[in-house]
Amino acid sequence: MQAEAAGTPNLAHHFPSLEQQEHAARMGMWLFLSTEILLFTVLFTAYAVYRFLFPVGFEDASKLAHVAMGATNTVVLITSSLTVALAIYYARQGESRKTVALLAITIAFGAVFMVLKGFEYYHHFVEGQLPGKYYHFEGLQGPGVSMYFTLYFLMTGLHGIHVLIGMGVLAWVAARAARGDFSRSYSTPVELGGLYWHLVDLIWIFLFPLLYLL
Amino acid sequence: MAGPSHAHKEFGPVQYLLVWAVLLVLTAATVAVWKTHMSYGARITVALTIATAKAGLVALFFMHLWEHGGVNRLVMATSLLFVVLLIGLVLADNATRFQYANPPYSESWSEVPFRVVPPPMQDQSPPSIEAPAAPKRH
Repeated sequence: MQAEAAGTPNLAHHFPSLEQQEHAARMGMWLFLSTEILLFTVLFTAYAVYRFLFPVGFEDASKLAHVAMGATNTVVLITSSLTVALAIYYARQGESRKTVALLAITIAFGAVFMVLKGFEYYHHFVEGQLPGKYYHFEGLQGPGVSMYFTLYFLMTGLHGIHVLIGMGVLAWVAARAARGDFSRSYSTPVELGGLYWHLVDLIWIFLFPLLYLL
Repeated sequence: MAGPSHAHKEFGPVQYLLVWAVLLVLTAATVAVWKTHMSYGARITVALTIATAKAGLVALFFMHLWEHGGVNRLVMATSLLFVVLLIGLVLADNATRFQYANPPYSESWSEVPFRVVPPPMQDQSPPSIEAPAAPKRH
């Protein structure tokens, strides 16, 4: 154990082995992700309640969402999850250059997602499809409609913030990979950053049908 | 720690591409179902079932729960339990209230006072205002 600790610069002194350190880091990340899931669950609950109370208003209001852009963004995020999964795979193989390239592609996908989202927001702003009392779109009025847009902006907004944070985390991981910090024996940050990105994808997988299709 | 973590089967690019392809097919399926005219309840059920399947694929394969499992699965399962508890119990509360405990015009399909139907795209004519359906109660 002592010999291993002396020969591994990435091992914190309170862990007996790199492997145990990795297991602990992974579990810590899952605990964090579960709090993220519960954070979004509160919004999903609000959505469920108001959808239950205003079925007509929500069904009509969701027709104002831009399905083509939402579907494109779903494909973009799913593909970015693939590139992150591959980045982790190559990081474990010790192929840092492929890792850096795949992470860069992932960040680019994140940027595409945010730009499309920006276009959607712009259209909703111009039309007056805004949250709560700021809703003034004359094409559709009725109980529950402004509530749909309150939840639409809250949920996609919080998700968008997570996309931006994820892009930042992945950029940091990519910079470290480019510096040569990772090897076959140590690639934990790539994996944990990837887990965060997958969670962002996971949330969107539910947001897309709920906000755009139903 | 039981054995080296990378000794057992690990997924490679081929498996990841397969999962990705299935995710794309499921996304197309969701949109395809949305274009059909199924009933309200059926559409919600199908859309949420597909979304759950997609989320399961991402969690199991992209997020490595299939390989790593153990305590991480327990953490995920616990958080899902609380997701179900929160949404389920809050919805049950709303569904079992007597009518006037919920906001006005809620839960009603026929008594909404007025609805303005959105005009078709590129149509400049003013939106048509539907006359409210006569309340049929008792």
